[in-house]
Amino acid sequence: MPIHEKSLIRPENLITNDSLVIDGVDVSGHWSTFIKSRTITDYNEAMEDEIAALPGGENIHRCWQCGSCTNACTVNAVNPDFNPRYWIYLIRQGLEEELLRDKDIIWQCVSCNKCTYACPRDVLPEGVMKATAHWLELKGHTPKSPSTHFDEGFTESILATGKIEEGRVLRTFFQRTGQPLNQPWLVALVGGLVKRFPLGYLIRMGWSTVFRPRTSNWRRTGRAIEEYVSERRAEQAKALGLDTKGGH
Amino acid sequence: MRDKPILIVGGGPAGLSAAHAVAASGRKAVLVDKADRLGGAPILQGYAKLVPSHEWAKDAIGGMVDRVRQNPNVTVRTGTEVQSFAGNPGDFVATLKDGTRVNAEAAILATGFTHFDSLNKPEWGFGTYPDVVTTVQVEQMISSGQGIRCPSDGRVPDRVAILLCVGSRDRQIGREWCSKICCTVSANIAMEIRELSPKTNVYIYYMDIRTFGLYEGEYYWKSQEEARVKYIKARIAEVTSDGKRLVVKGEDTLVKRPITIPFDMVVHAIGMDPNVDNMTLSAVFGVGLNRYGYVDKASTYAGLAQTSRPGVYVCGAATGPETIDDSIAQGQAAAVAAMTLAGVGLAQAAE
Repeated sequence: MPIHEKSLIRPENLITNDSLVIDGVDVSGHWSTFIKSRTITDYNEAMEDEIAALPGGENIHRCWQCGSCTNACTVNAVNPDFNPRYWIYLIRQGLEEELLRDKDIIWQCVSCNKCTYACPRDVLPEGVMKATAHWLELKGHTPKSPSTHFDEGFTESILATGKIEEGRVLRTFFQRTGQPLNQPWLVALVGGLVKRFPLGYLIRMGWSTVFRPRTSNWRRTGRAIEEYVSERRAEQAKALGLDTKGGH
Repeated sequence: MRDKPILIVGGGPAGLSAAHAVAASGRKAVLVDKADRLGGAPILQGYAKLVPSHEWAKDAIGGMVDRVRQNPNVTVRTGTEVQSFAGNPGDFVATLKDGTRVNAEAAILATGFTHFDSLNKPEWGFGTYPDVVTTVQVEQMISSGQGIRCPSDGRVPDRVAILLCVGSRDRQIGREWCSKICCTVSANIAMEIRELSPKTNVYIYYMDIRTFGLYEGEYYWKSQEEARVKYIKARIAEVTSDGKRLVVKGEDTLVKRPITIPFDMVVHAIGMDPNVDNMTLSAVFGVGLNRYGYVDKASTYAGLAQTSRPGVYVCGAATGPETIDDSIAQGQAAAVAAMTLAGVGLAQAAE
C-alpha cells in the first residue's frame, strides 16, 4: 500500500534490518522497511495533574483546543514548532515522550501574554508554558535555565537580607550561568559609575558589599517567607512524585 | 360554545402540557397513551436529573402527570391507541382500540420519538459486550440509586468513554439529523458520573459539540472546568475487548494519531429516531411525514403546530429531535391552535 501521509512518519520510526528472518521469511534490507506504530495505547491522567500543581498551570484542564494561543504566539511566528496548543493537548493526554521531543524549545516562551488575552477560556497558556518549563527542570529533563538561575540568586538575596542587591544578584547570575564578569557593557557601566558618583556614595556602596545591610527585623519575616517557600516546594515535589526538594 | 373535547395522543411532556393548557382554558381534553401510564420517555425510561433544571424526572414530569390526572376536564385513557380517525375539523370521530369512540373538535399528536437502537451500530459493541451501555441505561443507573457500575461484574469503572452521535449524523444508517440534545445530556451525565464516583475519569469522544445556547456554560464549560471531563475529537471506529477491558479504537484527529485506549465502560449517546409507530400514525390520522420520518409541519412561521391535515396538530419530538422544555412550550402552542382550529379556514371553522 502506498504511504499517503509521509509527513506523519518520522525518520527514527523507519526500521530496516540488515538481516532478519521472521517465520522463515527473509525481511532484510530496504525492501522490507518497517514503520513503528504511532498508535496511542493509553492515557496518562497524572501528567495534567502534575502541570496543574505548578504555578501557572492551574487552568490547563479548561483547554478546548481552539488554537487561539498558537495563532497569537510571538514565538510561533518565528518558529512554527513552538505550538502551545499542541503541548497543552499532549500534557492533557499524558503523551510525555511526545512532549519531551520539544523540551529544548518550550522554555523559549517570551511571556508576551498575547495568548493570555486571546484565550477564550482563560487557560492562561503563558502560565502553562512557564509551568511546563518548570516541570521539565524539576523532572530533570532539561538543565536549569538561565532564568531559573536568576530567580534562585534573586530569591537567595531577598531571603538573606530582605533587600535586592543588584550587584550580588548580577554576579551570582553570571557565575552560575558560566559567563565572565568582564563584559564590555558592564565594564563601561561600572567605569561610568566610578567616574560620576560622589566619593562618599562609592565608599558606602563598597561598604555594603562587604557588610550586607539588612531590612530591620528581617530575621523573623525572612524565616516566615522561607518556610512558605519550602512548603510550596515540598508540595510541588510531592505532586510530581519527586523525593528531593528541588526547584525554585 | 364548543363542547367537544380535544383529542391528545401521547402523554409525554408535550401531550401533558397540551392537556393542561386545554383544561386550564375550561375546555375538555381526552388524553390517550399506548403505555399503561402517563409521563412519556422521561418517566417510562427512568430518566434521572433533567436538563436544564437538574430536577429529578420523576418529580418534574411526575408533577405534570399528577396535575393532569387531577383535572376533571381531562379524561385519561392509557393502554390503548387510536385505531381509526375520521371526519372534519370541528367534528372528528376517533375509535380507540378498546372500542371507545371519541367525538373530538380537533386532535393533537404528541406522539414523541423512539430512542435509537444501538444494535444498528454493531461496530460499537452494544449487545456484544455487557459494559457497553446507552445514555438511557446510565440515566437508569443514576435514577435507581444503584450508582455507576459496570454491568458485567458490578465494579465501579476507572474510566468511562461516552461516544456522541450514536444514531445521529450518520448517512450509513439513514439518519442525517443531529439529535440536538445528546451533547448536553452527555455532558450532564458525565458530571453526574464524576460526582457519584470522583475517581472515575470520563472522556467524551465528539465530532462537534452542540450544547446550544445557554447550555454551553452550564454543561459544556462546567463539565470541563469543574468536573474535569475530557473531550477528545474523534469518531470512534470500533469498540472491542482484550478480554478484561473494552478497547476503543479510532483516530485522535487533533494529533493525527490512531488510538486504542482501554476503558471499563463505554456509553452510547443515543439519538432520537422518529417514533417507530409513525407510519401507522401517518395512515390513521392522514398526516404527512417529512423526509426523515417525523410528522411534517405545514408551515414554519404562520401556523405553528399544524400538520398537513386541517384540524390535526402536532407538538414536541413527534416533529423532530426536541428538548423537554421546548416540547412543553409546543404543547401549549398546539393547544391554542387546536382550540381555535387555527389554519382550518373561516368557513370550516364556523360550521
